[in-house]
Amino acid sequence: MNKQRLFKGGDIASEDSAKLQRGDVLVEGTRITRVAPNLIAPPDCEVIDCTGKIILPALFDVHVHAREPGQEQKENIRACSEAAINGGVTGFVMMPNTLPAIDNAGVVKTVLESAARCRIPIYTSGAITKGREGKELAAIGAMKAAGAVMITDDGFPVANPVVLRRAMEYARDFGLIVASHCETMDLSGKGAMHEGSVSYSLGLEGIPAISEEICLDRDIRIAQYTGAHIHIQHVTTARGMNTIRRFKEEGVKVTCEVSPHHLIFNHEDVGDYDTNYKMNPPLRTREDNAALLQGLVDGIFDVIATDHAPHTPFEKNNDFASAPFGITGLETALPSLHHYFISKVKLGWDLLVRRYSAEPRRLLGHKAVPVIEGGAAEFIVFDPNADTVFDRDFIKSKSVNTPFLDKSMRGRVDMVIHAGDLLLLR
Amino acid sequence: MTPRKDLLDIQSLTDEELDFILTNAVPFKNLFKRSVKKVPTLRGRTVLTLFYEPSTRTRSSFEVAASRLSADVINFSVNTSSVVKGESVLDTISTLEAMRTDYVVVRHGMSGIPNLIARNTTASVINAGDGFHAHPTQALLDVFTLKEVFGGDLRGSRIAFIGDIQHSRVARSTNLLCRRMGMSTAMLAPGSLIPRDTPPEIAAFTNWDQVFAWKPDVIYLLRVQMERQNVPFIPSIGEYHRIYGLTDERLKRVRDSGIYVMHPGPVNRGVELNDSVMTYERCLINQQVENGIAVRMSVLYWLKPGSVEGTGS
Amino acid sequence: MPDSAPILTKQDMARCIGRLAESIRDSCPGDELALVGIYRRGVPLAERVFTLLKSHYQSLLLGRVDITLYRDDLKNLEMMPKLVGSDIPFDLDSKHVILFDEVIYTGRTSRAGLDELLDHGRPKQVQIAALIDRGGRELPIHADFVGEKLQVAPHQRISVCFEEVDGEDAVYVREGGRR
Repeated sequence: MNKQRLFKGGDIASEDSAKLQRGDVLVEGTRITRVAPNLIAPPDCEVIDCTGKIILPALFDVHVHAREPGQEQKENIRACSEAAINGGVTGFVMMPNTLPAIDNAGVVKTVLESAARCRIPIYTSGAITKGREGKELAAIGAMKAAGAVMITDDGFPVANPVVLRRAMEYARDFGLIVASHCETMDLSGKGAMHEGSVSYSLGLEGIPAISEEICLDRDIRIAQYTGAHIHIQHVTTARGMNTIRRFKEEGVKVTCEVSPHHLIFNHEDVGDYDTNYKMNPPLRTREDNAALLQGLVDGIFDVIATDHAPHTPFEKNNDFASAPFGITGLETALPSLHHYFISKVKLGWDLLVRRYSAEPRRLLGHKAVPVIEGGAAEFIVFDPNADTVFDRDFIKSKSVNTPFLDKSMRGRVDMVIHAGDLLLLR
Repeated sequence: MTPRKDLLDIQSLTDEELDFILTNAVPFKNLFKRSVKKVPTLRGRTVLTLFYEPSTRTRSSFEVAASRLSADVINFSVNTSSVVKGESVLDTISTLEAMRTDYVVVRHGMSGIPNLIARNTTASVINAGDGFHAHPTQALLDVFTLKEVFGGDLRGSRIAFIGDIQHSRVARSTNLLCRRMGMSTAMLAPGSLIPRDTPPEIAAFTNWDQVFAWKPDVIYLLRVQMERQNVPFIPSIGEYHRIYGLTDERLKRVRDSGIYVMHPGPVNRGVELNDSVMTYERCLINQQVENGIAVRMSVLYWLKPGSVEGTGS
Repeated sequence: MPDSAPILTKQDMARCIGRLAESIRDSCPGDELALVGIYRRGVPLAERVFTLLKSHYQSLLLGRVDITLYRDDLKNLEMMPKLVGSDIPFDLDSKHVILFDEVIYTGRTSRAGLDELLDHGRPKQVQIAALIDRGGRELPIHADFVGEKLQVAPHQRISVCFEEVDGEDAVYVREGGRR
């Protein structure tokens, strides 16, 4: 049974106020029963000192590669869920690019069985097409019935516009979100990083920005035409973002996400062929960093999502062109966003709560989890003055393919409370 | 100057290191005039050549350089017919570690492979050309040759690179080094073979008339890659030669202006140049080859195997 | 930077070099004589002797060897030294060569100089001249012409300075290490 816990002395973040509110939080069972300054602890209540720390609604990530089934050397659902908890994330959506792909009700059930053994709820998406091959529609209705919450061929676009149109027309009536990895494969070719001055000097084939922008424009137009809800994954360019802004103004049902690494890093960070900076879509330019951050502030991006994509050291210790795309993100997202933006007042806590907790939950039709009286006890305690060092001991993911490996970020997730349970206490 | 384990690109060379390599290359070249061309400097050391792309010229240049320094040269046979990825290259490298090789000279079709090897071995790694990335010893021998021709100071001299800029590691490395030496550089290529976002200080031309009007001292011809992903860059070799090649008529203008001609070799007659260029008195191609040995000796002499913290960048 | 009084002054040095030149002249009457200095301070030494002897020979040749590439201790060096290069602007074959080093000690420098010389050609005869012989040979090398013999402790170093290189003519005994 959950006992009473009083989180005392912290400042509460909410999506509605740029200012933190001083407040003690009393948790009984799975709910928050009192929020007020200077609460007196009831008898037998455990008091947890949160002085100087920030209490914020627990995070939710709509873009995670848990690699199960089939690539458990990189990650599995259990390890991925522990990585999420380590980063203050108490729920996420898995991507279907597993082996085999999550493209039918059977695989959906299998992964959800694995997910049910984890300490936090985990959701799955299903593939748009069988085997993510872009040819035949996957069993969309059956997957929905089995519990899939969105469909996507993530990792690939649906190259054939006719297939995408059919999928959208079909998914629309099941109320499923169609999520798009936007890329024009012929334009990307064998590209390994953003096409620009750095790809030139490193002699690497480039992925031009237009590869993403053309597909993004096309997919939203098809969504507009079919009336489906399209969610654009991992937007990386200013021009692509502005396309979304325009269609949003036209009233198209389009949502979109931005990942922390596309806000923080750019192609210059690839340096000496560091494969921990290789992901798809690739890191773009310094100007894109600034534009995306502004877009986040302006509300063009509905959600922040990490695109957590684990790979083994063996796979990443390869030449840049041969190494796989992707970096992990669940554990580093909050401390890095705090380090680069919140602590430097470029982003407010309200924005972070809205875009990385409230809106992702709403995207799936869930309620947000504000830290209020009567609310769900679903929050994290964050110490803005402590540092996190992302070494192998800290990282709970099976993989360590992150640019933050062995680096230190200002800010630390100290506690994670999910459904009233203290899942993490550092 | 701090000891250096690897030579991977031109960018990471300091001015002092550049000067060290280029200055020492002169006494190395003078050795070729002696009856005994060999010195005992690297006696007992092992130099291994690991070429994943066929290149008789560069490979033998390194082999001659190493043997003139009395090193033992091992020619490690690898499959050059298909692309070998980094992970397999690293398997090979761990085998070579067991052989206690001191220097590895590597050429590979993928950019960054020498960097990857350098991080995974204590041997000195010399990049003999990787993908489109870099060919530092070519750049050094080119600049050494230019210094011989122009008497040391290259500041203010002008060099135009003509051909496949996009896919040329020579264009990257030599152009960069020429600019560091104070030269003005230009490029001429079909638009489909000019990369985006090249440094703005490189003048970009679209035809030979502009190149001649720019009054270059040297013209550096590059080989041409015809296609990628089955999509051609240029309509035909014939059209390329007519519009961008050093034809006999253009060679006449080159001769009249006293312009020198360079090429990294091997040449494609009838594509980037005509046969007549080979007998042009200001064609530096053979001088480049001879200087290649001296410069590579100088590089082998300079590098320090075994210093674990490889090359900074 | 003289840290103590020189053991040989400018005048002493001139006398030594004179003595060296004289004995060379006495024992090498014929022509075809070549003086080759080992870089670095063997070079000014050879030049001084060359100046003194020039008028006594119909043709007297002068050259320089940079023995860096022949050193047996390169592996132990943190950094490779910058090369100056050898300069032997004449055909060595059938020449009588005198190799100059400012101090002869272990014999390793002379060995390297000899090896380098023999890679340039096939001299008729090679002899070694040193301004100072401090004994302590580690190789079977013998100095044929010596300006001065000095006895110093193994931990001491004899440092010969030349005007052209060091700004003064003097010889010091210094503490620490081999030269």
